[in-house]
Amino acid sequence: MLTVAALSGRELRARLAGDGLAVRTGPFSTLIRSPIEPLAEGIALLYGDYPLLEEPGFADFHVRLRRSGGLRRWYRPQVHFDVDGLEPFEPLPEEHAFPMLEWALNWCISTRAHSYLMIHAAVVERDGLAAILPAPPGSGKSTLCAALVNRGWRLLSDELALFRPEDGLLVPAPRPVSLKNRSIDIIRDYVPGAVLSRPVANTTKGTVAHLKAPSASVARAGEPARPAWVVFPKYEAGAATSLEPIPRARAFMRVAENAFNYSQLGARGFHTLGGAMDGCASFDFRYSDLDEAIALFATLERIAP
Amino acid sequence: MPDSGTWRLRPGQALAYRQWDGEYVLYNNLSGDTHLLGEAAIELLLALRNGPAAREALAAALQAQFDFGDADPLGETDELLLRLKSLALVERFAC
Repeated sequence: MLTVAALSGRELRARLAGDGLAVRTGPFSTLIRSPIEPLAEGIALLYGDYPLLEEPGFADFHVRLRRSGGLRRWYRPQVHFDVDGLEPFEPLPEEHAFPMLEWALNWCISTRAHSYLMIHAAVVERDGLAAILPAPPGSGKSTLCAALVNRGWRLLSDELALFRPEDGLLVPAPRPVSLKNRSIDIIRDYVPGAVLSRPVANTTKGTVAHLKAPSASVARAGEPARPAWVVFPKYEAGAATSLEPIPRARAFMRVAENAFNYSQLGARGFHTLGGAMDGCASFDFRYSDLDEAIALFATLERIAP
Repeated sequence: MPDSGTWRLRPGQALAYRQWDGEYVLYNNLSGDTHLLGEAAIELLLALRNGPAAREALAAALQAQFDFGDADPLGETDELLLRLKSLALVERFAC
């Protein structure tokens, strides 16, 4: 199986600028077309482990990031994101192209992949059991996720928990982990040899950089995991590490609030989430120290089925 | 507060619910909402699954299962019925 890393820099850029680069990320295939160099640079750095698709016409998502036309491209170049002829985002400065690709792929999945119950959450797995970390921005979810997946946990996703209604398992879609502001340096210090994209300042989320997904997680993107824990993380400077159980019915409601398509799925969403919660212990988790957080995650025990 | 009347489930209500540790989540297939409910609410809904019932009968059914303490069972039942009505789960039934 060929991966993106098999392409030379020149071949990669030729595909991106030409008929497109078709890659598989978990269950999704995406055809990416763009002539923009910061985007090619980010893909070369962070997408080397992902399988190339040889039949790009069958991709789930056809995305294109293009430059503004006319004079604009000369004095303050911008990047536009198109998917199937739609342009759902405002154009952004050209140097934002790689974060925009990541946001665009999240948008494609969260607005279209309704064969899954999708929760806004990071998902990590160890010994076949998955911890779901639903949280709003600013909770430290991605920082914790980045630390966990570099200390023995497998990355399923930094952003999207994909529950498969047929069996309640979580389907991996590992992609780069989005880090913001102070988290960038925290993870750079915490993960020796961390591969990070060039930080992009002044985005709507502040300064953003993406951490390469562990190669082992990408290689196991076809292996779903059984949900075992729901952990609502909250980073608080100076806070002692604490884990407080949440009654399952209340945890159910909070997870549903973080869903992208719970309402659209109707009873199917209810039963999918209900089945998952049958097997999950749920907690509120406060932390400030990553080593302590990792140590505490190692003690999580599965509830009796 | 209703001072008399018979109640029923909203027609088509499927009463899909799950229970953990004495708390319930119920999917309202008529509104698409999910509700967090206590045991008494569920008991009341299950009582209505068999058909319309008078508030007095519902209060008696709840009284058989729950300790109301000093509270008035009929008043508490009325309050619960109104709450379930506001969630579009039950409605008054005109015979």
